[in-house]
Amino acid sequence: MRRHWGIIGLVVALGLGIFSGQVASPERVQAAEKTYTIAMDTTFPPFEFADKNNKRVGIDIDLIRAIAKAEGFKVSLKATSFNGAVQELQANQVDGVMAGMSITPERKKVFAFSDPYYQSGVVMAVAKSGKVARLSQLRGKRVAVKTGTASADYANRIKHKYGFKTVTFDDSNNVYQDVLSGNSAACFEDKPVMQYAIATGLGLKLGKMKMAMANDYGIAVAKSNPVLVAKINAGLKKIRKSGEYTKIVEKYLGNGSQADTDKKAKETNDTSSSFFGLLQSNSQTLLAGLGETLQLTVVGIICATVVGILVGLLGVVPSKIAQGVATTFIYVFRGLPLMVLALFIYTGVPMVIGAKIPAFVAGIVTLTLNEGAYTAAFVKGGIGAVDGGQMEAARSLGLPWGKAMRRVIMPQGIRIMVPSFINQFIITLKDTSILSILGLMELTQTGKIIIARNMEGFKIWTMVALIYLIIITLLTWLSNWVQRRVRA
Amino acid sequence: MTTRIEMKNVVKKYGANTVVSGVNLKVEDGEVVAMIGPSGAGKSTVLRMMNGLETTTAGEILIDGIDIAKPHVDIDKVRAKIGMVFQHFNLFPNMSVLGNVTLAPTELGLMTKEEADKEGRRMLDSVGLADKVDAMPSTLSGGQKQRVAIARALTMHPDMMLFDEPTSALDPEMVGDVLGVMRKLAKEGMTMVVVTHEMGFAKEVADRVVFFEGGEIQESGTPAQVFEHPKNERLQSFLQKVLEA
Repeated sequence: MRRHWGIIGLVVALGLGIFSGQVASPERVQAAEKTYTIAMDTTFPPFEFADKNNKRVGIDIDLIRAIAKAEGFKVSLKATSFNGAVQELQANQVDGVMAGMSITPERKKVFAFSDPYYQSGVVMAVAKSGKVARLSQLRGKRVAVKTGTASADYANRIKHKYGFKTVTFDDSNNVYQDVLSGNSAACFEDKPVMQYAIATGLGLKLGKMKMAMANDYGIAVAKSNPVLVAKINAGLKKIRKSGEYTKIVEKYLGNGSQADTDKKAKETNDTSSSFFGLLQSNSQTLLAGLGETLQLTVVGIICATVVGILVGLLGVVPSKIAQGVATTFIYVFRGLPLMVLALFIYTGVPMVIGAKIPAFVAGIVTLTLNEGAYTAAFVKGGIGAVDGGQMEAARSLGLPWGKAMRRVIMPQGIRIMVPSFINQFIITLKDTSILSILGLMELTQTGKIIIARNMEGFKIWTMVALIYLIIITLLTWLSNWVQRRVRA
Repeated sequence: MTTRIEMKNVVKKYGANTVVSGVNLKVEDGEVVAMIGPSGAGKSTVLRMMNGLETTTAGEILIDGIDIAKPHVDIDKVRAKIGMVFQHFNLFPNMSVLGNVTLAPTELGLMTKEEADKEGRRMLDSVGLADKVDAMPSTLSGGQKQRVAIARALTMHPDMMLFDEPTSALDPEMVGDVLGVMRKLAKEGMTMVVVTHEMGFAKEVADRVVFFEGGEIQESGTPAQVFEHPKNERLQSFLQKVLEA
């Protein structure tokens, strides 16, 4: 019995090693360089978006860079969802959020804000050809808004008065698509953003409604970081005075009229909107996204397989404690939805441990735990499926449990497990798309960003889907080849 | 004469269910003991307790003087000296015949690969399977498999052999080959405990026959005593049934 403790100890040590090693590294990076990480929305043009060369551009991006330059600090920009950005700031994963974020009393309770840098307000947009144009026509209809935004607040405030229901999305593009597809009758959005989207050729028009909730955009910073607020405010003053501020805003919105915005939007967008034109102009970005996806997949598969095999073995060790640990691991991590687990690790855990976890690491840990639990389940099952007489025969010859397991049971169990492993690899590849919630620039997130710019949802998602299918086909071929070799 | 196996008041319970109740049994060096009795009598359980495949609820099981019923016994060391042959052969399907036979001595560091190969071939030859050295177990007949299983146990040079219904899963025409090997072993002086339904074999080869029923030894004696002059009523009716069949 005693030797089994060795195995348990090894597994526990390995698990701790993974966690401590990964949590420690970002701290070192932080201390080495005085760089502030600012989280941004991925899809909030003209404040932040990717241009036709897939360079991340926008009013927010140019402004924060100008401010940083004026004040002599460095910024590292991180694209995620608006909601994700706010959560990351709360979890101290980033130093600030700049995402066309309205300064509201509620938010001021949680964060410190810079001086206002842009005045905006909420407008309504409706389908170009639709009948709905005013608020009074929304009774009984659906209205799309983006999670956690001022527009969403506004919609919720007036929905009882006008009798509509709200539906929320994480991306602006999904908000607009919901109106275009007719699922929602209208959407609420910040005025400059809506103007810019319409200018890119989106089939929506502004509804007949006065701009509501005139509000100011500010940069949110943790309350514990007054130094950064002061730096930002000083920098903002400097660039306003030098005229750089006006230059930046006009670069994207012209003089503020719809016509001028139209012109500016064309300059940043894709030249061809045919399938192959889009494929050509976005191929580099899509390949980069694919690279990230493959990296997540390969590292994820390796970690999940190692952890899965160890936990699976723990589940067959003749010790109640070991089996309990394995069963609990499988129960918890197989039971949790992948997205909940990812958000828990990325934005939940840092609040408790007080250290940042990089998105990639959080993604790998998520995959390792979730896919590892599934792997552990079939490893345990595969070993259990080997005839019990095999273990008895091996032990009767005087072989210790470990040797019998390694030489007799495992080789037979692995044959049983091979199809499950292949299946799990494919699932892991697909599951990486869920990690786009962490702002990882993998294939799905890349698709979202491209669409946020050009609104070509159908064509871009077709490309993304095809890329996934091609990779999965290749993976299946490879797996079948391995399977034939193992079974031979 | 030295005592190889000694069971003292051995009890085995599964929960509230008692399968073996107070068995006392001694096996001397070189002795061949046949255990007979109806299914569910506890004879296989008793056999499996002799090498620790079944835990013991109460009592002592002394193997060459070591009580393996006690916790913290180095059971692997004891098992290395006891060969075990199963009803369903339990050959390792992922290894060749020679691989099956040489695995334990090489893994346990008792022989080098070359020594084990040589010894394994010798043992396979002694059970009449010299030509099957490189075959995979799945290509063998039941009788051949069981003879490989015996060779596998013998390559470890055991001091005693346990047989758990070694011929029950075989086609009738295969039984003779396996019993032939066992007969030869007995003649060479191997200590053997055999759970069997082959009354002819028990009569001919065993030094002593032990009759089990209801988890207890009902009668024990020479084959002549047990088969010709059974005293126990249950033994009488058991013999009547098997010999009629």
